[in-house]
Amino acid sequence: MSSLSEEVLLVVKKVRQRKQDGTLYLMAERIAWGPEGKDRFTVSHLYADIRCQKISPDGKAKIQLQLVLHTGESTTFHFSNESSALKDRDAAKELLQQLLPKFKKKANKELEEKNRMLQEDPVLFQLYKDLVVSQVISADEFWANRLGDINNADPTSSNNKQEVGISGAFLADIRPQTDGCNGLRYNLTADIIESIFRTYPAVKEKYSENVPHNLTEKEFWTRFFQSHYFHRDRINTGTQDIFSECAKQDEKGLKSMVVQGVKNPLVDLLSLEDKTLDEGYGFCKTFPSTSNSNRTVKESSNSAIIKRFNHHSAMVLAAGSRKGETPADHASETSSTDGNSRDSDFFQPPVKKVKLQEVIEYEDLQRENRPKTVALNLKKSDRYAHGPVPLQSQHYTTSQDIINSVNYIRHEMLNYKPNLTQVLSSTTASSAIAALSPGGVLMQAATQQAINQMVPTEVQGELKHLYAAAGELLRHFWSCFPVNTPFLEEKLTGHLEEMLQTAYRKFHIWQTRRMLRKT
Amino acid sequence: MKDVAFIELKTTGHGVLEMPSGTGKTISLLSLIVAYQKAFPLEVTKLIYCSRTVPEIEKVVEELRKLMEFYSKQTGESNNFLALALSSRKNLCIHPEVSALRFGKEVDGKCHSLTASYIRAQRHSTPDVPVCRFYEEFDAVGRQVPLPAGIYNLDDLKDFGRRKGWCPYYLILHANIVVYSYHYLLDPKIADLVSKELAKNSVVVFDEAHNIDNVCIDSMSVNITRRTLDRCHTNVDTLQNTIQKIKETDAAKLKMEYRRLVEGLKEANVARETDVYLANPVLPDEILKEAVPGNIRTAEHFVGFLKRFLEYLKSRLRVQHVVQESAPQFLKDIFDKVCIDRKPLRSVSATLSYFYSFTIIIEPFEDRTPTIANPVLHFSCMDPSIAIKPVFQRFQSVIITSGTLSPLDIYPRILDFRPVTMASFTMTLARTCLCPLVCNYPQTHTFKNTLTLTLVDSVIRNYGNLLLEMSAIVPDGIVAFFTSYVYMENIVASWYEQGILENIQRNKLIFIETPDAAETSMALEKYQEACENGRGAILLSVARGKVSEGIDFVHHFGRAVIMFGVPYVYTQSRILKARLEYLRDQFQIRENDFLTFDAMRHAAQCVGRAIRGKTDYGLMIFADKRYARADKRGKLPRWIQEHINDGSLNLTVDEAVQLSKHFLRQMAQPFRQEDQLGLSLLTLEQLESEEMLQKIAKIAHQT
Repeated sequence: MSSLSEEVLLVVKKVRQRKQDGTLYLMAERIAWGPEGKDRFTVSHLYADIRCQKISPDGKAKIQLQLVLHTGESTTFHFSNESSALKDRDAAKELLQQLLPKFKKKANKELEEKNRMLQEDPVLFQLYKDLVVSQVISADEFWANRLGDINNADPTSSNNKQEVGISGAFLADIRPQTDGCNGLRYNLTADIIESIFRTYPAVKEKYSENVPHNLTEKEFWTRFFQSHYFHRDRINTGTQDIFSECAKQDEKGLKSMVVQGVKNPLVDLLSLEDKTLDEGYGFCKTFPSTSNSNRTVKESSNSAIIKRFNHHSAMVLAAGSRKGETPADHASETSSTDGNSRDSDFFQPPVKKVKLQEVIEYEDLQRENRPKTVALNLKKSDRYAHGPVPLQSQHYTTSQDIINSVNYIRHEMLNYKPNLTQVLSSTTASSAIAALSPGGVLMQAATQQAINQMVPTEVQGELKHLYAAAGELLRHFWSCFPVNTPFLEEKLTGHLEEMLQTAYRKFHIWQTRRMLRKT
Repeated sequence: MKDVAFIELKTTGHGVLEMPSGTGKTISLLSLIVAYQKAFPLEVTKLIYCSRTVPEIEKVVEELRKLMEFYSKQTGESNNFLALALSSRKNLCIHPEVSALRFGKEVDGKCHSLTASYIRAQRHSTPDVPVCRFYEEFDAVGRQVPLPAGIYNLDDLKDFGRRKGWCPYYLILHANIVVYSYHYLLDPKIADLVSKELAKNSVVVFDEAHNIDNVCIDSMSVNITRRTLDRCHTNVDTLQNTIQKIKETDAAKLKMEYRRLVEGLKEANVARETDVYLANPVLPDEILKEAVPGNIRTAEHFVGFLKRFLEYLKSRLRVQHVVQESAPQFLKDIFDKVCIDRKPLRSVSATLSYFYSFTIIIEPFEDRTPTIANPVLHFSCMDPSIAIKPVFQRFQSVIITSGTLSPLDIYPRILDFRPVTMASFTMTLARTCLCPLVCNYPQTHTFKNTLTLTLVDSVIRNYGNLLLEMSAIVPDGIVAFFTSYVYMENIVASWYEQGILENIQRNKLIFIETPDAAETSMALEKYQEACENGRGAILLSVARGKVSEGIDFVHHFGRAVIMFGVPYVYTQSRILKARLEYLRDQFQIRENDFLTFDAMRHAAQCVGRAIRGKTDYGLMIFADKRYARADKRGKLPRWIQEHINDGSLNLTVDEAVQLSKHFLRQMAQPFRQEDQLGLSLLTLEQLESEEMLQKIAKIAHQT
């Protein structure tokens, strides 16, 4: 292979793969492994293809590194150099750790995009299965106008995917498990770590300060979980605890948030009361002496928990909206800084006005003035409402007819005058009633089965899929017009024809199967 | 509704109205009274609309603005009504430096220091003394110029002030409609300044008045701590020094000043007799006639007198045990110890003349911290009718209204007035948009003699499960109310230990009210943000707290309210005990009746926070089986009561969850205007139709 031009970043010898000894090479763009004594690589993965790496737990006898690819395959390397296996592995791991994220971004975006679309859209997925997997059309053709559509219509949507928020309970998800010998084990995943960092920037700062210079990653997290910072109700702080500073910082953050005040005047409890007199005049319900000194430990720990919860929720919320709103935030911040000057009054009223208006408006009293939608213009509304009805020989009445006749009957009834000399005999009357009541002779026609109840659901599903697939093919067909390139012409005459044939065959198969099932 | 209020205006009597919030209570009262005012401008000259909080005041003015816009659109002429909102300096100041201050007290202090007459006098001699240019401008030009007709909210007043360069706070106003806080009318200390010139034939509306008795009592009561006395002492010293100084320089001037003071008092008395001013409730006329007794007529005597009184109070605060005595006892004790007669004291602090309605309680320490000395002298009023009496006496119509005033008959009793009409309205709903459920929890805690709580562990866990289940099925916001702060703290702590909170966090974010108002405001805002962006949140809050009293949880901000327990007031408080006794002796209201009434009005307040109109919907969960009892149920407002059926009583968590699921699913369907037409929404034709008029007449008769 033309590996000569590549820059080799790390070479690790004595690495086994599939029970074969060999050498692992980490290069600028790919990782490769060649068996001993041969000058070609039997394993070679571009970094871009690698989804993640996994390592064997520390205590294990075999020291391994596993690479998981985007395709789902995985390759395991066993570091077998007795003296330096662990070191080798860690070196490889560290390097990969630095390299992979770089390539992750470059990773096959299109593939990812396709994958995402298929995952997000079950109908599309079904279509893909029907058409591509059963080889009616090629994958390229399938995607050709799909991707184009998406990209043209909304070029930002793929890149600017909505930021995923943080679960409010991510700390609860790391339930510690006892490992049998008086210790606790926490399972951390990359997601949780990211959640922690995003929610508590202070911890992230500590992490970048200390790891890997002072602490290893593992030590860092161990300390994190040990610190009171994680156990929020404990107050006894170790003095050299690196996280005590975080707690302080959080406190500061909370305070600054409080000092900043609220933008919505309707929830500002401080300015709710309109009373100029101070404490001492009249009852003040909060007794002045609630300083920390005379509160019991229990009480202050309780209030600490409450504070933490408020802070945690606020941080989680902020982490979710931080990215999208940075510009807006800046704007509001700048205006709130000078908001303390006399500008505050000029700045404030709009918010206040809007909120007040919101409160006093009753939406049901408002005239509806939303944009007019186009009313569905149906020629035969009953067909739309009921769906296809099995054809019957009987006379077909439209709803218009029914309405007309009802009107007619109503009209008749209005002008009805009892003609008591010419009434029915009681026997005929009762038989007529019997015939008209449920179960009677005349009422049987009314219990028609709707067609969708007559066909089993799986057949319906199949039909739906076929319908969708045929629709897609027809879309392809029509998109070929006007035929102005030889490619289109070829597509039209050549394989599109073939495709339609295939589709038709499929339909035929289904039809026969259905018939078979029926009989 | 209209009929009832109309009767009232006609007969110039007082009334009590209960109407669910969001059904247009404010606007119907406003439009009715304005219409009356327009029709009979001589009978009703002024409308005084009192509300509780600043946002509520502003809301009323905005509604009024809409009404006036409607008027001018219909009649085609601009009307000459002047309506405005009044508030404290903090909300009205436009001075760039002063208005930047955050606390009302600071603003007031700073304003005084810029506008007080002696400061302005100083400025004449030394021009570099800072003054407020807005006030100066106002004083020079603005005093004579009346405000043009229109509707002025607080911000509009500020704008107006800024445009003209006048201080809006000092704009003296003769408006047709004034909207302000209760205190401006009830608190004698403020009312004397603001409201005494209001015309007799005004209509007064107290909105959100379910707590009006407490406001009355608050405004008439005083707490004195050692710190107050210390500061008092320094002030008296300063006064003494000043007097000494002036006396040395200008004895004649001093005498003049003093005489003016006495004359002023006499004049005030004359004015009051001729009914120019609103009577001061704390200063009955006969006392004023005596004017100032001889022995405090000169300045030194006065100061000496103050000092003696101060020393006496200090000595009383030095007690080691709790003392409770009635006002006459107190006066007698003063006389014995420092030889102050009742007469001079009376005119100094005229409140004492109603001494049967007052009690004095001296507590050497707080109940929770018996080791730390923190003596407080509570001089507390027990009769809410004292503060409100002049209002009832002076104005021709007073309307007390709120969403939760049940049972209606207790208000006239404790406020001591005879209403012409009393009515409770319910909502006509196109769909049942509220769903009260009563869960079968036993009583969870008992108050022992101190504030320690006995919490039943299993019940706490059950509460937690209820909240957890609800957090999984209710969309957006849930508000949960606890009976007291201490109680909430403890429950939150045990939920945390049991891991319940963590599980709740999987469904929603948790925000908790704290005693600190600023912190709570922030939590509230974040709570609303979380509801807005679809994450959903839970707010844990306290009944009787600030949140339960002033914040509305409209639409998705409160899809469910859970009331844990019955919010009884802390019964061991001595002040409350004294008040209960007084109620029993004077009004024949049994202790238990009053306590239940008080608890239920707070519970109703809490759960009522979620429903702010008929397009809104929400669950109301009462998590205590005592709510199922007839005496509790019967005290809920009618509009809640009529939706509690036997099927919604005594539910287990599972049953409650099932019912809620069903309810929420139904409510989540689109609710359109057409659905309401003819039922809870009427077009003009429908309103004028014969059938509807009969229906309205029927409703009016029922009430």
